[in-house]
Amino acid sequence: MKRVLVLLMLLIAACIVASSVAHAQTLNVPEKVFAGTGVSIPTSGSGEATLYLYGPNHVAKRKQQLGQPIQLAGDDVRAAGRYFIVLNGGGNESSGSFFVTANKVDNIAFLARPSRVPASKPGVISGSAFLFDAYQNLQLEPTLVAFNLAVEGAPAITRTETSKFGVAWTRLDSGKKAGAAQFVANVGDARTNRVVQQVAAEPCNIRMRAQRGNNGAIEVVTDPIRDCSGNAVPDGTIVTFTAVDSNGKSTVDSRIKRGIAQAELPPSNSALISVAAGVVVGNEIHWGGK
Amino acid sequence: MRNPSLHSKRALIAVGIALALYFVLASLPPWVLAATASPSNKVQLNVANAQPRQVEDATVQAIQRDYGKAWQTLAQAMSENRADLLNASFTGIARDKLAQAIAEQKQAGLSRKYVDKGHHLEAVFYSVEGSAMEVRDTAQVEIQLLDGDKVVHSEDATMHYVALMTPTENAWKIRVFQAVQGF
Repeated sequence: MKRVLVLLMLLIAACIVASSVAHAQTLNVPEKVFAGTGVSIPTSGSGEATLYLYGPNHVAKRKQQLGQPIQLAGDDVRAAGRYFIVLNGGGNESSGSFFVTANKVDNIAFLARPSRVPASKPGVISGSAFLFDAYQNLQLEPTLVAFNLAVEGAPAITRTETSKFGVAWTRLDSGKKAGAAQFVANVGDARTNRVVQQVAAEPCNIRMRAQRGNNGAIEVVTDPIRDCSGNAVPDGTIVTFTAVDSNGKSTVDSRIKRGIAQAELPPSNSALISVAAGVVVGNEIHWGGK
Repeated sequence: MRNPSLHSKRALIAVGIALALYFVLASLPPWVLAATASPSNKVQLNVANAQPRQVEDATVQAIQRDYGKAWQTLAQAMSENRADLLNASFTGIARDKLAQAIAEQKQAGLSRKYVDKGHHLEAVFYSVEGSAMEVRDTAQVEIQLLDGDKVVHSEDATMHYVALMTPTENAWKIRVFQAVQGF
């Protein structure tokens, strides 16, 4: 009985070894393949086998002559990722897998935020560049990305960052000059641009003057209103004029039009007139009286 | 009194049963074993190295949920050759590439099965405005390549993926999905 057991064990061991040997054949696949580049994989033996290719975006089943190399065209390996290749024929299976990596950067997906910013604000503009090759594979190798923010008539702001896992990002101050700034990310010949509208920041100071109108009203008008970098504050920005006299307080909201704001305050013999836009307060005028 | 002959017979029967069990289990499809042996779809996300923005707790939960769901979607779509399922979890380039693979699989009568055994994600990029997150995934996956019902290749492996995810109305979807050799 012991002999039977020993024989049985030996038989099992032989089966396991034979089984593992049968599946041990591996194809001599390349270590690294660039997307869109053809591949040649040698085979051994003779006769015909079935070739299976399972890739990230390409799958094929076809006949393969053993002894002849497996030829994969560039179009077969366009997508980055892992490819499994299996040869099945003559009772044997041979298999292998290889990785296709992205080719050189050809296209940049560029996220720029925000689309409209006040001038001269630190760290207010952000840009994220995602690097792709011609086959829409993310280029994961560290790559230098140049970011450039420029508005006509002012010096450009340039920053170079190294991508990590296919993405590079930067944060920039907005420029001093208002206008449509070109925000560009580029790697070699690949470049993508976005427009960031830089607008004047808060008014730097507001100066107004007053004169008597035709019907006794007080006409107030500002000088051209600019931010601290000299950019004209956009038309439509609200400016508030206030007059305080013995009858109480009168307030008029006026929108900047062609760079200046003006309003008509009620007649008064003696009033304190002030002007403000947002958090910025302008000059005061003591009207009439002593 | 001990009966040596009876004892040996019992031993032989026990060995026979053990062998039968071994061969039955060995012949079972691996995804059956995996499905019974492991909890599916465990996703852990580490956000300690995310830049330039810190990841909010709610976003961590959402990414874990939606990345796990994406793998379920992927497994079902690849197994049943149904590209329409991809829309729930994939978008853009990732969806297009997977859909093409499924179309070609279907045409050739092939399919593939994924047994998802868990993922360790690390967020490496989270955009300032919160509109994109890139994660590295170290996944335990069993992959079976099939021709009809016949398994042509099977592998139980640690795989590495890079995924770029973007938020949609009610879920994060995978926009870029690439297997890589390592990190």
